[in-house]
Amino acid sequence: MKGKLKKRACIKFILSALVVVTSLFLLQRLLVPKYVDGVVEGAFIEEYYQQEKDFDVIFVGDCEVYENFSPIVLWEDYGINSYIRGSAEQYIWQSYYMLEDTLRYETPDVVIFNVQSLQFNESQSEAYNRMTLEGMKWSPSKIKAIQASMKEEEHFLDYVFPILRYHTRWSDLSATDVTYMFRKKQVTHNGYYMRVDVKPAENVPDGKVLADYSFGDNAWKYLDMMTALCEENGIRLILIKAPSLYPYWYDEYEAQVEDYAAAHNLEYINFLELTDEIGIDYSTDTYDAGLHMNLSGAEKLSGYLGKYLSEDVGLPDRRNEEHLCEIWKEKIAAYEAEKQAQYEYYGIEEEN
Amino acid sequence: MKYRGVKNTLACVCVLGMCMLAGCGSDGATQADSNVTDSSVETSTENTAADDAVADDAEADAEIASGFVFESNGVEIAVDMDMSSIVDALGEPDSYFEQPSCAAQGIAKIYTYSGFQIETYPDGEQDLIASIILKDDSVSTPEGIDLSMTKDDIIAAYGSDYQETDKSITYENNGTKLCFILNGEDIASIEYDSPVLN
Repeated sequence: MKGKLKKRACIKFILSALVVVTSLFLLQRLLVPKYVDGVVEGAFIEEYYQQEKDFDVIFVGDCEVYENFSPIVLWEDYGINSYIRGSAEQYIWQSYYMLEDTLRYETPDVVIFNVQSLQFNESQSEAYNRMTLEGMKWSPSKIKAIQASMKEEEHFLDYVFPILRYHTRWSDLSATDVTYMFRKKQVTHNGYYMRVDVKPAENVPDGKVLADYSFGDNAWKYLDMMTALCEENGIRLILIKAPSLYPYWYDEYEAQVEDYAAAHNLEYINFLELTDEIGIDYSTDTYDAGLHMNLSGAEKLSGYLGKYLSEDVGLPDRRNEEHLCEIWKEKIAAYEAEKQAQYEYYGIEEEN
Repeated sequence: MKYRGVKNTLACVCVLGMCMLAGCGSDGATQADSNVTDSSVETSTENTAADDAVADDAEADAEIASGFVFESNGVEIAVDMDMSSIVDALGEPDSYFEQPSCAAQGIAKIYTYSGFQIETYPDGEQDLIASIILKDDSVSTPEGIDLSMTKDDIIAAYGSDYQETDKSITYENNGTKLCFILNGEDIASIEYDSPVLN
């Protein structure tokens, strides 16, 4: 009898615990930001995990990769299967762990890293940390990425249980939070964030004089780690500087990257020096006055990069692979649909 | 009796839920200040800003009175001041540039006037001054230092209570920094910086 009572109490306890845990889980799902409209950048990183992972090229880096390169052009024109694992102000330690995380699933032939983030030696904002880190699947890489990224006022536990961080969102919940509580809406095209609108680059200021142009030790450490990781895995690491006019890319920055690339036998392409050759017109090819390319600029830039990857790096044209073609057929349809929707939204006539 | 277990469970869920929803006092406020991209957090920040609006104005005045101040055409300009009042007083800038941050984290604005440049940071509905940069020797600090002068001139004007690196000397007053970037003994740039840049 006593044993029976004990058993019943035990079952009750377990059921109660289950109810509490389930309730908290549901509450957490409801309260975390969904990043499906407005600020969509927080959804980028997670989208990679839904992909069939057989990419030839993986990009890592900040907005200068996800807004400036179109994997669709790389596929359509050169048969290169690529994905951008970029996120807003992705710091280099995050890019490193993003790459480490990627290697859990696949080993690409080429990794492209945009060097703009070398200017940061520590994380600048919790918001950017979260937009990059929350989308990563749990793994030792994610744990190390969080530890490397957290600002002084951040807590590791808040990443494990996001409800601790987002509990105050309850008063701002909208229908979107319910609609996307358990499902996601695709917001990128293989990591590319599309914008078709135009805002010409005007009055772009020069960089202000700095007391010290040297990249920090922490930034160098992670670039060294990225270089070593690529070498260990037989990956060709290509450093790039996207043709974004601002934040200002100093000659002193350029010299440091050139020296590093030469010392480590890496390729480095500064697209700022190739804008004429690529055909970038900053009066039509940017949507935010030169900070990022719009679709027109991104497609020109991707065409140039595709040619380089195909002819100089020797990446194969995979458009003869039926299965891949099927996958890309859907992606291209989604890309074209969004293109049309944005042209209509912004009242722009599509160029032929 | 039969429903005591269910009641206890529900009570437990309610208490936990209320703890979560009600926020955690000062901790919540601290998190809101960190400005994660999330409308609720922004709202929390806005509420705090609204509550403290009057206090902020008073603080701004106090900073102008006690911190470093740059002056142009009789207009006093200090970091953390509302830029709209400066534009009203100085007139439209020679050039203007907006730098929207990634993922809508606010727009930094750069106003270029003859001889100097002002950069702002967003604070709720306002654009506050993040830095004032003297670009050439047509302008000088109220203490008479301009880009044609030397490190010795700076020390003669501002004293010896400064922090020094290889290429700069910096004076601090109520969190506001006045930074002289040096090229050898010459001044390469003069910059007033808000504490938000620290």
